[in-house]
Amino acid sequence: MSDLLEQLLHGLTLGSLYAMVATGLALMFGVVRLINFAHGEFYMLGGYAFWYAYAELGLPYPVAGLAAAAAMGVFGLAYERGVIRTILARTWHVQLIATLATSITLTNLAILVFGTQPKEVPTTLSSTIVDLGGVRMAWQRPLVLVAAVIIFAGLEWFVTRAKLGKAMRAMSQNREACAVVGVDVQRVALATFGLSAALAGGAAALVSPLFNIFPDVGALLTLKAFAAVIVGGFGYVKGAIAAAFLIGLAESLAAGYVSYAYKDAIAFVFMVAVLLVRPQGLFGRRIGI
Amino acid sequence: MMRALRFTIATAFLIAVPWIVAATVPGQQRYVLHVLIFTALYGALALSYDLVVGHVGSLSLAHPAFFGIGAYTAALLATEARWPFAAALPAGIAMAGLVALAVGVPMFRLTEHSFAMGTLGFALVAQIVATNWVDFTRGPLCVTGIPKPQLGSLRIATLPGFYWTGLAAVGLVGLLYHGLTTFRLGRAFHAVRDNETLASAASIDPLKYRMLAFVIGGAVAGGVGTLYVSYVGVLCPGELAVSLSVNLLVMLFLGGVGSLRGVLVGSVAFTALPEILRMAPTWRMVIYGLLLLIIVIRAPDGLEGVIRRRSRA
Repeated sequence: MSDLLEQLLHGLTLGSLYAMVATGLALMFGVVRLINFAHGEFYMLGGYAFWYAYAELGLPYPVAGLAAAAAMGVFGLAYERGVIRTILARTWHVQLIATLATSITLTNLAILVFGTQPKEVPTTLSSTIVDLGGVRMAWQRPLVLVAAVIIFAGLEWFVTRAKLGKAMRAMSQNREACAVVGVDVQRVALATFGLSAALAGGAAALVSPLFNIFPDVGALLTLKAFAAVIVGGFGYVKGAIAAAFLIGLAESLAAGYVSYAYKDAIAFVFMVAVLLVRPQGLFGRRIGI
Repeated sequence: MMRALRFTIATAFLIAVPWIVAATVPGQQRYVLHVLIFTALYGALALSYDLVVGHVGSLSLAHPAFFGIGAYTAALLATEARWPFAAALPAGIAMAGLVALAVGVPMFRLTEHSFAMGTLGFALVAQIVATNWVDFTRGPLCVTGIPKPQLGSLRIATLPGFYWTGLAAVGLVGLLYHGLTTFRLGRAFHAVRDNETLASAASIDPLKYRMLAFVIGGAVAGGVGTLYVSYVGVLCPGELAVSLSVNLLVMLFLGGVGSLRGVLVGSVAFTALPEILRMAPTWRMVIYGLLLLIIVIRAPDGLEGVIRRRSRA
């Protein structure tokens, strides 16, 4: 019983991670209709930024975490300016290959700079064990869950109440109409990339104390987050979040009860199975963030 | 007439390369031939990939998996079941083609990005299976001692022998590529690529032609995989890495997507360049990534575009 609870909690931690990465992917797709294949690498860079701030500079955990998120936010802005803006008007082939090329470049730059040896960043929270009704786990896990809930609540407030968030939602519905009524579409796109990258950086700061940081963590993460985006219904953020938690739970249960070696294949098999039955995704709607 | 003559001279030159190399760079003969064999195999693989990417416009990232399935089929049949090369090669081709057929059915329900991501997922799963199914694939221990090809009394074991095999392979794949992409079939491929709705209105079923290109491309990749393992003699799960797709994309876009000459020029430039520059593997991938990014943004028709603009001017 406690074994099952442990797997479920582990699944929720994974789900929080996938959900934060998938949200960024879904936001980008919603606003500029582009899939960022380099999104997993944003998480990877966020992890290294966090490692640098926490382990090398010795900043306190919350400060280091926020610094990692902020650094990735700036990186996202630069990425939009440097790469995305030049390919927005091009075909999806060009966009896909350009973001894939970015992903390969970032992964191998990380290998050059940080080496292939994983970086471990244990924090006080990840090494203190809490006993919750027979289930023993690191304090970091409940922290990840609580932080994920706060982040998603904040995001919900942002896209329904804040002006910039409303503009993002509007753009996901009709870019031309937005431009006509005077929305600065370029600025909204820029902000979307900053926000999505910061989410990936924040996710990295939250889960890196539990999972190690290594250069090619991104490829599988992009795949799983994208699986969540597809399963959730393309570009529908809440659907992607729900699907990400499903994938995290499925993966964790599969690792515990089926086969640890094949756990990474689960997200993919799940995605294909859903698409065969419901091509529009589990929570598919037509349009909008 | 002029074209036929030029073609004959070029072919004669390519066949004579081992002797030319022996005469000009006697000390580095083995190394140069090794690079040329890789160039030929990469050229054949890039052509099979371009059938899918360049001609029906489906951005598949599953090609490393088909290459690997052909390679593993042939390697295991040759080492465990002692199959001769003449039987292992068609088995590798058929297995890769069959898997492409089975994977294509669900994958082509996906479009554009989703298709790319789905095929990427398949490639990752294939590598996970190759690494973890140790009883069958020997996992990270690699399949070793793969015998050199033997066709009747002809045994291909020397570097010039492999060079001619590779040359024959790229020639055959080039002929197949030309045949598939030029005539009515080629026009149907391009119709599907350029305007799917219009193609289906003209009763050209997009799915049928996409599947055809995908399965043939996969089968040819399996064949190249078979040749590759019989040359190298060892097969590890790392050969199925997703980075192979990136290498192939660089070749295609560097040379020119959807053009026989472009893809061949791209694979020569791609395999020769790093050998000349003698780069470390990690730096190599950084440079390939940046190169791909720059080409796809600045010059999406690659070197072929440059050649065409030159010949027109």
